[in-house]
Amino acid sequence: MPENGVHDSQLLKGVLSLALMRLLADRESYGYELVTRLHELGLTEVQDGSVYPALGRLERDGHVTSRLVASTSGAARKYYRLSAEGYAALKHIELAWQSLVGALDPMLSKPVPAKPKEALP
Amino acid sequence: MNEGALTKKERMRIELAVKKINWELDGRVPRARRRQILNELRSNLTEAAQHVGAEQAVRQLGDLKALANSYLELYRSRFDARAGAFWAFIAYAAIQLLGFALFLAFRAGVAAGGAHGASYSFELWSGFGSGFGPFAGKVGADGNTFEVLIGSPAHILIVMLAFAIGSTYRGILARLTKPKEALP
Repeated sequence: MPENGVHDSQLLKGVLSLALMRLLADRESYGYELVTRLHELGLTEVQDGSVYPALGRLERDGHVTSRLVASTSGAARKYYRLSAEGYAALKHIELAWQSLVGALDPMLSKPVPAKPKEALP
Repeated sequence: MNEGALTKKERMRIELAVKKINWELDGRVPRARRRQILNELRSNLTEAAQHVGAEQAVRQLGDLKALANSYLELYRSRFDARAGAFWAFIAYAAIQLLGFALFLAFRAGVAAGGAHGASYSFELWSGFGSGFGPFAGKVGADGNTFEVLIGSPAHILIVMLAFAIGSTYRGILARLTKPKEALP
């Protein structure tokens, strides 16, 4: 997490599907529960309004399946779980993510110079 | 907090947010899908309201229009009745504006030609027979009374055409501009 605790919203948007799939790999969840689980992980900038359509996208792409479960709080909850296709996709995306982080990390771990060096003649 | 703890005002606040989303999706997303979206949203909002209150629960959704647009990106049907109605109205308004401009030009022409005690009528695009429209009118003998066609078979035809194009063009464009599958 950055020092000021703020994550770039575009970066978050890019990894939201990965985060949701990873959480769903642990256990079946419904929309608001996933939001709270993300917030508990420190991703407090993630808005509910970006999670719900993201779940719909995952469902449309066949990465998750859903079922309705009656709730004592009123309307039935829609629980999502990772499909077999979702597990395969998650493994693939996780590898791609690790590879990306591995490639970027040596570059980003170096301190940023005050100004770029002049080009060689 | 539990469901019973939600006040009537809080339930209304949730329902208002759901209705706003419904308003944006109405006529653009198939009814069954829209109902699923709204039920899920209502359920999540109710759950959130029990923890943080309805006002905060709605605020956490972010911009409702942006949320509706996200759903539209996902579930927009090929047929957009609302866009069709909009373009039908625009087409009708354009015909009427053009018709009125033509009428004013015709009246000016009649006056410039030295009108005498008679009424003058005009009709443009009468290739399909008299009264087909859409542009026709009459200037009274005194030059102050006039008639302009506001409804004709041509009006209906153009408005229907605008509705058909307006309600489907986005789906057609989306299909045409859909990125091709990446090569393996």
